Amino acid sequence: MLRFLVRRLLGAAVTLLIISAITFMLFYAVPRDPARMACGKVCTPDTLELIRHNMGIDDPLPQQYWNWLSGIFVGRDYTGIGNCNAPCLGYSFVNHESVLGTVKDRFPTTASLALGSSVVFLIFGIGTGMLAAVKQGKALDKIASSASLVASSMQIYFVGPVALYLLVYQTHLLDQPAYTPFTENPAAWFTGLLVPWLVLALIWTANYTRMTRSQMVETLSEDYVRTARAKGLSQRTVFFRFAWRGAMGPLVTIFGIDMGVLLGGAMITEKTFSLQGLGMLAVKSVINNDLPMLLGVMIVTAAFVVLANIVVDAVYAMIDPRIRLA
Amino acid sequence: MSFSRRNFLIATGVAAASSTVLSACSSGSSNSGNSNGGKHDAAKANTITIKVGTAEDSKGPAPEVSGAKKGGKVYLLNDDDFSHLDPQRIYYAWNSLVEVVLARTLTGYKIGDDGSMTLVGDLAVDTGVMKDEGKTWTFTLKDGIKWEDGSDITVDDVRHGMERGFADFTTEGATYAQVWLTGSEEPRKSYSGPYKGKHLKSIETSGKSITFHLAEARPDFNYVLAMHSYAPVPVKHDTKQAYDKKPFSSGPYKVKSHTTDKSMVLVRNEHWDPNTDPIRNAYPDEFDFTFGIEAETAIDRLIADTGNDQYAVSWRTIPQSKIQQATTKAKDRTFTALGSGTSVYWINQTRVTDMSVREAIIRAWPTAGIRRLQGGENRGDYATGFMSPLVAGYKSQDVWGKLKKPEGDPAKAKEVLKKAGKLGTKVVYAYQNDPVNAKVKVVIENALTKAGFEFVGKPLDSTTFYDQIGMVDNPYDVYWGGWSADWPTGYSDFMPCFHSSKVVDQGNNYSHLKNKDVDAAIKAATEEVDQTKANDMWAAIDKQVTELGAFIPDVYMRRIYMHGSKLGNVKMDPNFDGCMLYKMYVKA
Repeated sequence: MLRFLVRRLLGAAVTLLIISAITFMLFYAVPRDPARMACGKVCTPDTLELIRHNMGIDDPLPQQYWNWLSGIFVGRDYTGIGNCNAPCLGYSFVNHESVLGTVKDRFPTTASLALGSSVVFLIFGIGTGMLAAVKQGKALDKIASSASLVASSMQIYFVGPVALYLLVYQTHLLDQPAYTPFTENPAAWFTGLLVPWLVLALIWTANYTRMTRSQMVETLSEDYVRTARAKGLSQRTVFFRFAWRGAMGPLVTIFGIDMGVLLGGAMITEKTFSLQGLGMLAVKSVINNDLPMLLGVMIVTAAFVVLANIVVDAVYAMIDPRIRLA
Repeated sequence: MSFSRRNFLIATGVAAASSTVLSACSSGSSNSGNSNGGKHDAAKANTITIKVGTAEDSKGPAPEVSGAKKGGKVYLLNDDDFSHLDPQRIYYAWNSLVEVVLARTLTGYKIGDDGSMTLVGDLAVDTGVMKDEGKTWTFTLKDGIKWEDGSDITVDDVRHGMERGFADFTTEGATYAQVWLTGSEEPRKSYSGPYKGKHLKSIETSGKSITFHLAEARPDFNYVLAMHSYAPVPVKHDTKQAYDKKPFSSGPYKVKSHTTDKSMVLVRNEHWDPNTDPIRNAYPDEFDFTFGIEAETAIDRLIADTGNDQYAVSWRTIPQSKIQQATTKAKDRTFTALGSGTSVYWINQTRVTDMSVREAIIRAWPTAGIRRLQGGENRGDYATGFMSPLVAGYKSQDVWGKLKKPEGDPAKAKEVLKKAGKLGTKVVYAYQNDPVNAKVKVVIENALTKAGFEFVGKPLDSTTFYDQIGMVDNPYDVYWGGWSADWPTGYSDFMPCFHSSKVVDQGNNYSHLKNKDVDAAIKAATEEVDQTKANDMWAAIDKQVTELGAFIPDVYMRRIYMHGSKLGNVKMDPNFDGCMLYKMYVKA
């Protein structure tokens, strides 16, 4: 297990290094000058040069990348601004804040959104999917399958405003979406995120319903399940001890990747509900030509996906004894 | 395009997607046109009164708003945070709209109920004493003006604010005064700011007076000092770069908390004395800004008008997609007015050298069709020139008959072209590659083709559009542009946009007009001491550059805003094109 983890973590580090290098190069391939935005209306060449120097973008590209990379391990000194302690993901000249500080500030919103919605879609998605599999071919199965097909083809940017209109603006059943830290006011945290959770969960529940159903149906037709039945085990035992465990493997894999993506920021959801999470931060960084911030968000997002994959691999082996950590 | 201070919305909104309807915040002021189905055009656009006030006008308190009372909290629904709060880093109206309640300046604008603007002394007892035909200006500070800690605002603080404008971290701010105070187009080479213990030799202080010695005559320098770029900063509380997050207030409110891109709360500055302030009323106790709310979402919330949203204002214009819904469901809570921006289409004089060709393009131009695609009447009133009706001296002078035929006159254009022997002339039109501009391009193509031109459309990436058209040797004949003056006299319209010295890469003379007569006229108007005469001279220059075919007049831009039902006197600041925080009040 230890060897597995060390090997995967080293692989993850290399993956993140490649992602950061590619992001860095791609950003500079776009013919936009980050210094221009800070140069005011009457922008003379001298002033532009001064800003570039202050931003550290007058160095050769490899040097800039090295400065950024080494900052993660040893920190960086920004002339006139101060020291950015390790791990330093850079300094945003747009927000005038350290990238790590901003990412830390935004992460709880994204994490709350991801965790809350995943609880809802896992419970309802897996539950409905299992029910549909058990009642395969019957009315319940058909209703669940049809409903999930409809829901999974919907988009946040459509369902979100409709939900807001119906549940918030018209009927006032639920609160206006907003993020309040859990530690500050748990009730406000819950009510403020309920609409985004439900909307996000509606679409993801549909996906998990379909996946769970198909996995369960497939597993229930496996030889070992038939053997278990033939041995006279109860339906409940067959279902939960054998079939469910076998079907969960692929679902865990998908969930791990989905969580990584959600923790990296559900951009459209955050934008639809005006939640200031990592997704919105990424969008704004692109609009503002804010390379340090974009790079920071990209790295954090990529780290979540990579880590989620490692966790999934480990959990997979625990769920399915047939899998061994090679 | 580099944009003027008041033109940030043009730069970021319309420039990016010209379908965006620019709008402003005014409820019933005389400068606001009636949007109830009437046609908006330049002839109907009422010019507002802009004058220099007396020492008496500069005395506080500001006239009370009828029915207004103190107290309550106002919620601002913003899509974006303010890019700067450090006054020396402020150029754009977006920031000035909030800075005006945090930072007082030597002079400022007293806005009348009718939208008129009177330049008055804000921190100064009057609008300054001019000598040497505008080369020397002296201002004397009022008694009782305080910082948020209760300490006096001194001339040292005023000088410090001016000197900070030279620092290497305040490059975003205006540079007009820096150039005039040093006599150098690269002022930072002459002086690097106050942090090395040196003061500018061109600024003298004595007791409560501060004197500016300018390298050139600037008879409207007192207007320039109303810009937030020249607001005082306390020497003792200057936190340099960190000042941008939490400036030290001299206005009626101070920053209680500010989390970038999330929220900001302003509360009363108890050391602000209304008796020293002729401009600001400051009725609400608190302003609560929430950032990151999409403009569409903000309007949905305001239409629903529930809870705290009854006390809210949309900080950004009503998006085109929501105008009909907003004006139908809550007409009494929406308001439209003319903004200070003018939309034009530049004609590149470097490439289109023949006046007949320029005339034909202008005559054929389908202004009405373009406006329909960009929001109709809410987009703006048909323009006749470059100078906005919100600039002193504006005169409606329809040189090209655009008011009579806003849909364009391809037949007449063809006649002009034929007479000049230029039928079939190629016109390269550059535009931002977005859905609305793609439709606009088709309308223009049809009109110019009908007039006998060979039309070539060149879609450009929105993010680099201004970089590309900003090159003097750009390969395009016609392209869009927006502008508004940095202060309401003609100087900051015509000097940056039409003087031959500004035909440089990434300069603001996008038409590349190089005309000795225009240069001479600009110089004469700039040096004219009598501002009434100067205003007439700027109006004449407006006609002159229009006649030269440097641009195709498009529209004087309009703005439309919305507020909750529990707010009163929500009006537009004609100087900054947005809601005046210091004039509104909470009804109940």
